[in-house]
Parts: sequence; structure tokens; C-alpha cells
Amino acid sequence: MDSIWFQRVSKFSAYVLAILWVLPLLYAFWAAFHPPEFATKFALFAPLTMENFVSAWDQAPFFRYMLNTVIITTIILFSQLVVCTLAGYALAREEFLGRGFAFALVLTQLMVMPEVLIVENYQTLTGLNLVDTHLGVGLPYLASAFGIFLLRQTFKTVPQELEDAARVEGLSGLGIIWKVFVPLAFPTYLAFSLVSVSYHWNNFLWPLVVTNTEASRPLTVGMAIFGAPESGVDWSVISAGTLIAIGPLLILFLVFQRKFIQSFMHAGIK
Amino acid sequence: MRANRMLKVEGLTRRYGDITVVDDLCFHVNEGEFVALLGPSGCGKSTSLKMIAGLEIPDAGSIELEGKDITQMTPGQRKLAMVFQSYALFPHLKVIDNILFGLQARKVAKDEQQRRLDSVVELVGLSEHLQKKPGQLSGGQCQRVALARAIVAEAKLCLMDEPLSNLDAKLRNEMRSEIRSLQQRLGMSVIYVTHDQVEAMSMADRIVLMNDGKIEQVDVPEGLYNKPKTVFTAQFIGSPPMNIMHLANERLGVRPEHIAIADEGRPARVISCDYHGADTVVLAEIGEAEDRAEIIKIRYPGHALFAAQQAISVNWRPEHEHHFPVSQ
Repeated sequence: MDSIWFQRVSKFSAYVLAILWVLPLLYAFWAAFHPPEFATKFALFAPLTMENFVSAWDQAPFFRYMLNTVIITTIILFSQLVVCTLAGYALAREEFLGRGFAFALVLTQLMVMPEVLIVENYQTLTGLNLVDTHLGVGLPYLASAFGIFLLRQTFKTVPQELEDAARVEGLSGLGIIWKVFVPLAFPTYLAFSLVSVSYHWNNFLWPLVVTNTEASRPLTVGMAIFGAPESGVDWSVISAGTLIAIGPLLILFLVFQRKFIQSFMHAGIK
Repeated sequence: MRANRMLKVEGLTRRYGDITVVDDLCFHVNEGEFVALLGPSGCGKSTSLKMIAGLEIPDAGSIELEGKDITQMTPGQRKLAMVFQSYALFPHLKVIDNILFGLQARKVAKDEQQRRLDSVVELVGLSEHLQKKPGQLSGGQCQRVALARAIVAEAKLCLMDEPLSNLDAKLRNEMRSEIRSLQQRLGMSVIYVTHDQVEAMSMADRIVLMNDGKIEQVDVPEGLYNKPKTVFTAQFIGSPPMNIMHLANERLGVRPEHIAIADEGRPARVISCDYHGADTVVLAEIGEAEDRAEIIKIRYPGHALFAAQQAISVNWRPEHEHHFPVSQ
């Protein structure tokens, strides 16, 4: 009977955690769709309004911020996929001197917190004249040690005979990567892309340091300025702004939820 | 009239560190010929095939295809076809795309692709499976797709690496005769790696028997069976293997199927009987003196009912004797 109790307790805890997790989101929805006087007051039949979205949209250049975020995230994701594919393939399949050492370096980099390098990175960016540009925000993240590691592990599970067959059939090295390795590792790509996009969509500290103007400022930084306490806190408008910011990702996840979870399972089992 | 040389392998050698896996391999394949590379596991036959395919780099030796040296070419440049043990089908591609994989990679014209596809699909009987993924096919069907991919390339030489070893016994027998008849109908030149002597004996025009990285004997199947040059060949070909009796100045070999249990002959004692259906393998001790007794196997047609320790007489015809020097 222990196991039944254990099941009940764990199910209960899961619900509690899930509710705790979703509460801020629910609150944001509540505050955003109701007039400011209901921001801290619950009434079932409080009037609904879109007013907060309008004023949030008018008060800050959300569209510009969103565009910046999309551009930065896209640059990072695209470059990460290319770099990690090539590096992962080399570390998994190519014999070269120092391969073990190179892989060890990649693993070491996994353990370095990016925040430690902020000053150093900022100096480098100044030297390159890239402060307050999209590329500048993305530059430290154009390669991902995590992605290289993940793809190397996946590529290692591709049977050697498949690669041999492709070579006998006349494919070049890059052709084999593109036609054999990439399609076979598709679930891993999906899982990695999700992690990467959500990390960089939400990244705050580095963009805050390296952006100065609307030209490159992403949503997260824009939101922080928008909601800064010294300008007076209007929870309803902030909630509306937050929903605007997280909306695209939220919709994307809800639509592809099943697919994402499947690919995580798939990538995990391997 | 001498047949055209399709492939000539000379002095092919491959070492892994101190171990020589393939040692000075020399053989050739004529046009339209089915040559089996036969040997126990670890004898270097697969490594040899990979070197011919270009997937392994030889340490020494040369490979000539139609008189042209291809030793330094990449696998793609050699334009050979290959069938792998695990089929090596691409799981993310439909059967049709698997078959046309090489033609697409080599950018063969679309109508030419279609023409070859139509003929090969009919040949191996895959027409209703073209739109499926390999995961939805049985082992035998996967094997057919792999064959189709090799045939569609219309390569000068087709390499097969134990293509039947993942199939069950019944299917293996069917595919054996199917591959052989396809090869003869299309006039393909084939190198077929196997550790199964029955496959090699029943399919091949010629057999290259390898042991420990070296060629033991190259011959037609009857030659290997009737005139083995070494004790290894004698014992590798035939089932059960040839009996080797140790005489004072030579070794005497007689195949179990050539020994008759008769009223007179050499005295022997039965140890046990192993009934196989069509025949019985009788294990017996031959030789008078206890210390010089040798255990031999006799293939006795039908169901033999001999008691253990029963005294029998065995004989064989002199032309069935094989003589090997003691040094082997």
C-alpha cells in the first residue's frame, strides 16, 4: 500500500508545484485584461479591457524590441546550429591530432558561467566596435558548448555502415553531414533549438550591459526599463507588456507542445 | 577465349599497429564473375573488402579496376556498389529514395533514374513498398532494398559484405539463390564476403579462402572440396569437417561422407551417434593400439543404430584419401 500513498503524495506535490509555477502567469493575465483598480483585487465579474495593452504598446517601442529579440535570437540559433553541427561531427567522427583535448576544452567551457566573462567580453566588443549592435549581443553565444556536446553524442550513435554506404554512393563529406547526420539527429536539433531560443529570448544581463539604444535593445531589457520603479509601478500595464513580450514564445510552445516533448523524450532516451 | 579482368588486387596489406590483418593479398575478378571471400571471423576478409571499396586505406599493395589504378581514389570516385551486413538503409528516407540515393548524389538525369528504378523494382519485387520507410519492412524486404540500391547503380563491380547473415535460415536460403540468379541474369561482377562455406560453395564461381590475413587457396568450389591444398582448407570446407589422421610421416585426410561402415576394413569402435534426419554422424575411434587411436566422424546415410563401444569396420576408396605433409 506504500506505493499507492507514494503515488498520491507525488501527484499532489506535482499539482502544488505546477500551480505555484503558473500563478505569476495567471496573475499577469488577470492584471493585463482588467482595469488598474482590479490589479490587486479579485472580483469574478470585473470588467474586461484591452486598455492596458494599448497604453503599454504606446509607452514603449515594443515592436522594435520584439524585432531586436527575434533578430538576435535568429542570428544566435542559426550560427549555433552550423557551428555545433560541424564541430560535433568532427569530434564524433573525424580522426585528428588533439581531438580528445579539443573535446575536453569544450566540456570545460560548459562549466564556465557566461556572467564571469562580462567585462572581458565587453572590452572585446568595444575593440571590435560592436557595442549596441545585434551582432554584438549575439557574438559571445555564436557557438554553444552544450550544443556541440549534444550533437557529438547523437552523431556517435549513427551507425558507421550508414556513413560508409553514403560514401560509397558518392557523397562528399559535407553531403554526408547534410543528407545523413542532420536528418537522423532531427529530434536533437529540435530539443536544442528550443533550449537555445528560450534562453536567448529571456537573456537579460548581457544585453543590458551591451545595448544602449533602441537600435539593438531586446524585449527583456526594454521591459526592465519600462517597468523601472522610479517611473512608478503600474502593474496592469507591466503585465500587459510582459504578455506582449512572452506571447510569441508562449504560442509557439502551446502549438508545438506535443512535438517538443516527444523530441525531448527522444533525445533523452538516446 | 580469356575473360576480361574486372578487378586485380595485388599485394594488398593492412596493419593495425603490430598486427597484420591482411597480408599480401593477391587475387582477381573476371567480368561477370562471382567471387567469394571466405574465411573464419577475424581472417581479414571484411577489411579486404573495405580496402577495395576505399573505406580503409591499405598500407601496401594496389587495386586495379579495369586496368586503372584506383588505390588512391575516394570511395565515391571508384563508383562501386556495396551491400552491407546491416543493410545500411537510411531510416529517414522512403524506400524509393533509399534506392535512388546514389543516383541523386551523382546527379543522374531524372528520366534515367526512373528507367533504372522501374527495372530494378520489378527485378526484386518491391513495387508496393516504395513509399514506406525501412522501419516498416521485414528483414528480407530490407535486404531487397539494399540489393536494389546496389543494382540500380549499374556499377562495374558489386561488393557484398555478409549480406545474408542477419536473416533467418529459411530466408537466407531463398535469398541465396535469388542473389545468384540476379547476378547471372545481369552479368554482375561480384565480390561476396562470407564466413559461411555453404553460401560460398553454392553461389560462387570462384572462392578465395582466407585464414589469418593470408590467402589459403583460390579455386572453384569443386577444387576446394576435391583438392584441398592444406589441412586448413580441408577442414574448413565440408560438414562435418574432414577427418585428419596423424600417420608417422604424413597426415591422412578422409571426408566423413567417404567413409563406409562395411563388413571388412579397418577396425573401429563406435563412441556415439548423432542423428540428423537424412543421415547420421557416427563418432568412432579408429586404430588398434589404445594410445594411437584417433577419433573420426563418419557420415552414414539413414538412421544408424549403433550401440556405444560396438565394434565396426570402416573402409574408404584410395582416391578419397588426401595426403598432407606433417609440417602443416
